[in-house]
Amino acid sequence: MTLAVDSLRADLAALVGPSHVLVDPAACAAFSVDGKIPDCVVAPSTAEQVAAVLRYSSEHHLALIPRGKGTKLSMGNPPRRYDVALSLGELKRVIHYEPADLTISVEAGMTFGKFQNLVGQSGLWLPLDPRGGAEASIGGIIAANAAGPLRQGFGGPRDMVLGLKIATTDGKIAKTGGRVVKNVAGYDLGKLLTGSFGTLGVIVEASLKLFPKPPERATFAMRAGTLGIARDLRRSILRSPLDALRLVLLDSPATALLDVSAQAQEHTGPELWIELGGSHRVIERCAFELRRLASAVGAPLVRVEGAEKAWEHVSNLAHWLQQKYRDVTVVKAALPVVASEEFLSRAQQEADAERIALASFAQVGVGIVHVCTLQETLNASVAGLVARLRQAATDLGGTLVIEHCPVDLKGHVDVWGAGGDDLDAMRKMKLSWDPNEVLSPGRFVGGI
Amino acid sequence: MGMACASPDRSRGCAVSAQRTNPRGLPGAKERVHHDAMRSRTPKFAALTTIRGRDILRVRAFGVELASVWHSGLVCHTGFFVHSRFSRFAMKSKGLFRELARIIGEDGVLWRQEDLMLYEYDALSSVRQPDVVVFPRKTEHVVQIAKLALRHDLPLVARGAGTGLSGGSVATEGGILLVFSRMKRILEIDLENQRARVQPGVVNLDLSLAVADAGYYFAPDPSSQKACTIGGNVAENSGGPHTLAYGVTTNHVLALEVVLPDGEVIHTGASHWDRPGYDLTGVFVGSEGTLGIITEATVRLSRKPEAVKTLLAIYDQVVGATRTVAAITARGITPAALEMMDGFCLRAVEEATHAGYPMDCAAVLLIEVEGLKEAVEEHADEIEAVCRENQAREVRRAKSAEERDLLWKGRKTAFGALGRISPNYYVQDGVIPRTRLPEMLEFIGSIEKKFDLHIGNIFHAGDGNLHPLIMYDERNREQTARVGKAAREIIMRCVEMGGSITGEHGVGLEKSDLMPLIFSAVDLELMGRIKNLFNPQGRLNPGKLLPTGKMCGELRGGLAGGGPV
Repeated sequence: MTLAVDSLRADLAALVGPSHVLVDPAACAAFSVDGKIPDCVVAPSTAEQVAAVLRYSSEHHLALIPRGKGTKLSMGNPPRRYDVALSLGELKRVIHYEPADLTISVEAGMTFGKFQNLVGQSGLWLPLDPRGGAEASIGGIIAANAAGPLRQGFGGPRDMVLGLKIATTDGKIAKTGGRVVKNVAGYDLGKLLTGSFGTLGVIVEASLKLFPKPPERATFAMRAGTLGIARDLRRSILRSPLDALRLVLLDSPATALLDVSAQAQEHTGPELWIELGGSHRVIERCAFELRRLASAVGAPLVRVEGAEKAWEHVSNLAHWLQQKYRDVTVVKAALPVVASEEFLSRAQQEADAERIALASFAQVGVGIVHVCTLQETLNASVAGLVARLRQAATDLGGTLVIEHCPVDLKGHVDVWGAGGDDLDAMRKMKLSWDPNEVLSPGRFVGGI
Repeated sequence: MGMACASPDRSRGCAVSAQRTNPRGLPGAKERVHHDAMRSRTPKFAALTTIRGRDILRVRAFGVELASVWHSGLVCHTGFFVHSRFSRFAMKSKGLFRELARIIGEDGVLWRQEDLMLYEYDALSSVRQPDVVVFPRKTEHVVQIAKLALRHDLPLVARGAGTGLSGGSVATEGGILLVFSRMKRILEIDLENQRARVQPGVVNLDLSLAVADAGYYFAPDPSSQKACTIGGNVAENSGGPHTLAYGVTTNHVLALEVVLPDGEVIHTGASHWDRPGYDLTGVFVGSEGTLGIITEATVRLSRKPEAVKTLLAIYDQVVGATRTVAAITARGITPAALEMMDGFCLRAVEEATHAGYPMDCAAVLLIEVEGLKEAVEEHADEIEAVCRENQAREVRRAKSAEERDLLWKGRKTAFGALGRISPNYYVQDGVIPRTRLPEMLEFIGSIEKKFDLHIGNIFHAGDGNLHPLIMYDERNREQTARVGKAAREIIMRCVEMGGSITGEHGVGLEKSDLMPLIFSAVDLELMGRIKNLFNPQGRLNPGKLLPTGKMCGELRGGLAGGGPV
């Protein structure tokens, strides 16, 4: 940062209009990231303005963090520098929408809630349940490749992005991919940008593939009682012809927190929740099949009524748990499918040893396990626990990242863990897109 | 092709190769057909020039003086060679051959003229020969060869089975061609995790067959799946009829081992989801061998559905078929596959395969639904109703697995069947939004009239991926020129409709100069930057994917078409 705030404001105001620039410290504080408060918040209203702001920042060696609604910004290492918050909330237009083609192009700042409402009118949806839920922005969901439990049935944002418009740090707007559902022209830079956490370029527009909404959906809970039975059930479900939309193993504290009270009662031990979709007849067949699979391992099966709220919580863990446990830490282990239950068991042992209360939510069909520490104030032993959980994930052939934690913890543990032999290629990639380290410096893997 | 303008005699060779019905790219009868045809159909003098040209090149490679006299003559006739790095190679060839043989053994290197000939084309076209062909058996071989190529500044091109339709695996500037037919081991099958780790030379269908008894398969199913390799699928991001529901190759690749042009080995992605960092796997898939050489891939295996139903809807008017496509998705149904063939293609297919396709209709839709048997029944009934609402004359359902296989055989061998009725055809791979299909068909009809050509239509209709096949006879120069113009108008129309120049065949050599139709200079510059990161000297698969600006003519890659899609 080499500029005085006043000249920064004047320069940015010239690019985006004075009413789109904030420098008031109190207002800027709302845009802090990991405790760092930017000098300035800028909210461009067109893609060209975003590009202009990027070029300006690059020329003046400013550090900028792009954001949609900020629902996932707790993910990442603390920024090395942070001068300007780039809010994309003003970019919220629909650029192109043809329901019969099952494709849509929207600007990045549109919220997921608005988006789903719009396409829902034609019986369509984007089958994602990302962190941040309805509040999240489309651009943010893509930048974080934020997939929730619906990944079981549909994959993640990576599989739904058809094309992107990207503002680059040299002040240009580039396109990758297109609007049609099948396209292999050119390098697939959409994949590169998806999950790049705003460190390469700024997504200003996205073309997405839409899906018809299942006519009905139903959630069933199977009370496995033990992890061993839960594993057997997971195996038999994945081998069966059932196509689960979501499949999540909840430990006892997790079921208690979800408090689907009518059913929770005195029950303890892990429960496997499965959501299925289709016509009434298809759901009946699924229920029949599930009952058969569950009774084979002696697990009672119940249909969960009003599961939607519970699913919202499960896909937005940090936000939900924070209301009760201010200093909650949420880690995500990504594992081979076979290792999910083993990881849960090791996590529990480690937490017991440290006397830290946990709740776990495991997408066992895709090997994604969220472990949450239920704490109101950060305990010094959490850093050690996270390190040991990461070791457990590595031992089992997976990786572990911290999705959300108090800033203090980030001083002790790297959010992403170690990179692989492709880290050098990633660094070169960053350098070629953002040579002046404008975008979210230091927040990503390996200090990128 | 670039050569089409510079070298008429060679372009003739290309067009001949386009007729091959099976593009396996393996030595054998097909190649003999190819060369015999070239001899018989090329004016004697031209053929002589070409063949002599090759001889001379070989002779030069071994330093015989006579060569240089003829070489200047050759340059006149085949301007292409002017840019080649061949001479550089020739100077060093003996030493290089020895070095390569030291790395992988003498039986892993081909260098004789008659052997190299078999590797001068893929299913698009014949371009030029590599200077040497090598068959690595392990990653370390590829590393050593890459380092050697770096030391000698030679082009390096990877090739699977040579079934590609965009010229992606031809060595446009000569150099070393790495053929992966000896790296064809399935390294690991992990059913519980639904993963397989394979070497790049594993044939697509072989992987599915290896896990079929356990109830799994590898979802991407290009029509060449009996021959094409997974390495090639990854490089081209291949599609197939069933991508409508299950996505293309990139949706099924989790991790890669890649050898970079300097011999460095990197591992991208992981066998599990969400490995932290940039999705380099996603960048390498579909990069057409221009960023790195894939030496191993970890792919997803899919569980076979409980039930499959295959419907054949028969129409007396093409427009009914095209309207049905969007009407099906409007009902909230995503079939596993939704293919269209017009009457012209059908008659050729039926004569070749006797699959039971009607000979007297205007178009058929081949529709497949998969899933739980209850869902499949419901969807099949609904689809049938939609077809009838859109004036289908008849809707048949395959009654047995054999009947289903036969219908698919007809579809997957359709290109070959067309080779029986036309000396040449040019196939395109444009994509449009599926709702524009009726309009597009009408447009293609008008192009047919305008340029007085026959155009067959075989579409992955559900995806809006068009494969119009323009029939011609390359001996008719004037007609061939019309084909180029017609093709350009069709692809321009796709672009105007908001579509793409390629849905699954790749850009390769064929369409690199069409890239500016859909990408701006800024977009292309960004892609160029990515290429420079990994392939700064451009030695890896030169002349592919990005526009070179070197070529002349309307459609680079010229008029050639070939194997199945």
